[in-house]
Amino acid sequence: MTELPLRNIGRTDRRVDAGEKVSGRAVYTTDIDLPGMLHAKVLRSPHGHARIRSVDASAARTMPGVHAVLTRDETAAIPMPVYGYFIKDQPIVATDKVRYEGDVVAAVAAEDEGTANRALAAIRVEYEPLPAVTDIERASEPDAPELFEEPPVGVVPKYGQGASGELRPRKNICYRFSYETGPADAFAGCDHVFEDVFHFSRMHHFHLEPFVCVADWSREDRVELWTSCQNPFPVRKEIARIFGIAENRIAVRVPYIGGGFGSKNGCKTEPVALALSRLAGRPVRFCLTLEEGFLTNTQHAAILKVKTGVMADGTLVARESEILLDSGAYSDGSPLVAEKAGYRIPGPYRYKRIKTDCYCVMTNTAPAGPFRGFGGTQTSWACESQIDMIAHRLGIDPYEMRRRNLIDLGEPFVPGESGMDSDLRAGLDLVVRELGYRRRDELEDDGPVRRGMGLAIGFKDGGGVNKPALARVKVSTNGDIFLQCGTAEIGQGAHTALSAVVAERLGADRSRVRYMPVDTDHTPFDQGTNASSAISVMGQAVDRAALAARRQILDFAAEKLDCPADDLDLADWEIRRGNEAHPLAPMVMGHFGGTGWEFVGEGFHKAENSHAAPLEAPCVFWEIGWGGAQVAVDTETGQVTVEKLFVTGDAGRAIHPLVCRGQDEGAALMGLSQALFERMIYDGARLVNGDALTYRVPLNDDLPEDFRSVTQEQGHGPGPFGAKGMGEGGMLPVASAIANAIYDAVGVRLTELPLTPERVLAALAEKEGG
Amino acid sequence: MPDRLDPRFDLSFTLNGAPVHTATTTATTLADLLRDRRDGRGTRLACERAVCGACTVLIDDVPRASCSVFAFEVEGRDVRTVEGLSDGGDLSPVQAAFADNSAFQCGYCTAGMILLTEALLACEADPDDATIRDWIGSNICRCTGYSLILEAVRDAARRKRETAS
Repeated sequence: MTELPLRNIGRTDRRVDAGEKVSGRAVYTTDIDLPGMLHAKVLRSPHGHARIRSVDASAARTMPGVHAVLTRDETAAIPMPVYGYFIKDQPIVATDKVRYEGDVVAAVAAEDEGTANRALAAIRVEYEPLPAVTDIERASEPDAPELFEEPPVGVVPKYGQGASGELRPRKNICYRFSYETGPADAFAGCDHVFEDVFHFSRMHHFHLEPFVCVADWSREDRVELWTSCQNPFPVRKEIARIFGIAENRIAVRVPYIGGGFGSKNGCKTEPVALALSRLAGRPVRFCLTLEEGFLTNTQHAAILKVKTGVMADGTLVARESEILLDSGAYSDGSPLVAEKAGYRIPGPYRYKRIKTDCYCVMTNTAPAGPFRGFGGTQTSWACESQIDMIAHRLGIDPYEMRRRNLIDLGEPFVPGESGMDSDLRAGLDLVVRELGYRRRDELEDDGPVRRGMGLAIGFKDGGGVNKPALARVKVSTNGDIFLQCGTAEIGQGAHTALSAVVAERLGADRSRVRYMPVDTDHTPFDQGTNASSAISVMGQAVDRAALAARRQILDFAAEKLDCPADDLDLADWEIRRGNEAHPLAPMVMGHFGGTGWEFVGEGFHKAENSHAAPLEAPCVFWEIGWGGAQVAVDTETGQVTVEKLFVTGDAGRAIHPLVCRGQDEGAALMGLSQALFERMIYDGARLVNGDALTYRVPLNDDLPEDFRSVTQEQGHGPGPFGAKGMGEGGMLPVASAIANAIYDAVGVRLTELPLTPERVLAALAEKEGG
Repeated sequence: MPDRLDPRFDLSFTLNGAPVHTATTTATTLADLLRDRRDGRGTRLACERAVCGACTVLIDDVPRASCSVFAFEVEGRDVRTVEGLSDGGDLSPVQAAFADNSAFQCGYCTAGMILLTEALLACEADPDDATIRDWIGSNICRCTGYSLILEAVRDAARRKRETAS
């Protein structure tokens, strides 16, 4: 058969969620409203670290309109009232201690939020304040205050060649990840060894839809949960473990998610809401304020110590790194982030020797967890800054330094890993062209304002670790297509892209596909919407499911038409054989009767396990974000203006080019914001800017005058039609590209984010003084 | 529940062209009043501090953060929400421009951005880029990086001018 031209892939037609989202009809968890639904609010700790002497909620319990009160007295009856990813250390409500300002101490379900808040005000808690530790270096010292006197329950996953993990290697360190490859004496042969330290700031995700769920456990043997959650199946498993319920009694449903950027992985609001619903015997809605969001999950601040051995010609030889991640008061996703930070610190370069130790350090601050980039943002900041520093020290152009050391297309990142699936030099050269990097000597200064350019290559392994995905495609008698899979639509456009893949395989317009609601009772298993895995991992499962359904349809028709299936094609719900067209609906009803039939295809994907791969399975794809910036630095005020920002990712194949562009540009703006101003500011244990007004996120005014992105389609991705994942890469190179441009402009090196005017001025003063 | 500190009173205003007579309380915000209606969930609440603009509605054609407007403030006034933009299911030119330019991702800020654009284009049919950026600068989108939104606003202006001419 001749191949029909693609009709869905690469089109920029309206996303499948466009109509609902521009008309206001889209349903989010915040919109779920059940009969008899109560509203939950929680009491939070005013102390960064304190022992709880007593909790007296007796007055709250008898207040009119209050239906349930949850304190440590109630959670004592719950089978395992703690949660977390690798380490189960976060209590549903505090038991012995509070460990950060904002830690949950008690919860109330009432007729409305106002009544719940009044009841919380009537709860008396007696604290014995303890010294708090909020600095990761201080927390690592032997005499620092200790967050957990008793080790919480935890597990270390199986690792492959060169990698290892350890629970609680030292006090206040909940997890260590290490990786090592190559000869230990590699530094001995180096012409130069450079050691530099980088500080990475901490942001909040600032997703506009708050953390929210509606929990209904009014019947003993049935839990129904609507939640703004990126990974409903792991949350179902966690709820089953915490409360001792069978997983087939728990339905987790995920409507549209109003942004997450990583924060909505794992239990957040769900355990409190479920415990209250059980106590009250009514459905409970638990919606946090945006301010409470800051206290619920954050990015990891970090200190990265990087030691790199290099030859005089710029050839990289060895890199040893020590990374301290500020995990906050509970482990949440920190061990996983440590894995990834520890693994990604070499960047996309070739070395003879790599050794990394990455530590999750507990502090009396809000819990840190997954955040777009997932450790890769931290490591790209350090790696791409140091590459530039080394280049300048050796008198080599930073572009040439990178080109010389980049991994080749197809070359494994480290022994046992999958090959690089992007031409890294091609991407770098694109940035150089688009930015006009080679002509940067022609940039004109403007009085005290100096201009410069910088490059960076953000790097991460994409698609998660050892991640399975399952999908189902059903086609009804009339050719209506049902796509069932667990990828949540969080804004990234996954429903559009996955629907397009199915439509393409079944010779249909995308409008014939409906992406079915995510409901763990009916949706095939999925580990979660994270790690840029929608098209790269789930996409492969969806593709196989669609091809399986297609195969069944063609086999059915072949039998009816008495010919080989290979002679047939499927288009617009007709079987095509040469110039003949056979409508399928009558054929189906002729065989199955007038009530018709559904063809059902299932598809599964998981990277093959391999002990040779450090993370026990080779990386699914490599997510690369190339970036370049032109800055103007005012040497009198220290103000940095990013005049040009160019980012480019490699989609492999862009299923929907506008969606790809939006992912890269949104990510790049988050990177720009982190580079210049956005950060959580702590004064001791107190977060001082945890609200929308004082926490500055970027507005459109913050866009550089020249802000562009290009989606490359290099075609080497593992996903359907050669696609790779997107969404995180665009953030990774931005901060270091800007820092490198600042150095190019004024010759000062900033190693701490954000790159504020104060820091620029201080560095300029130091340079003058020195 | 009844509350002696927050007594109920009758409120009349126009919502998307239709008269509304309802009972509410002095402490109720316009956003809560709208969202409590079956057809009012398109108005989204995010920061609830009049910073992000997700809950933007038009009151007498002026964009306002409905989280920070009391319901009683709209007595006798004209309120427009995203639900009032589609004419019998047909998207408005602004909505269509946002849809066609993929000027949204998670969609949580979208209703507010669209109403802001409607107000802008009612004031200036052919706004220059500085004016567009000035207006759109009052709302937060955490997903898109804004470029696609700015393109949608320009496209919406073109469409509206073409429809008008």
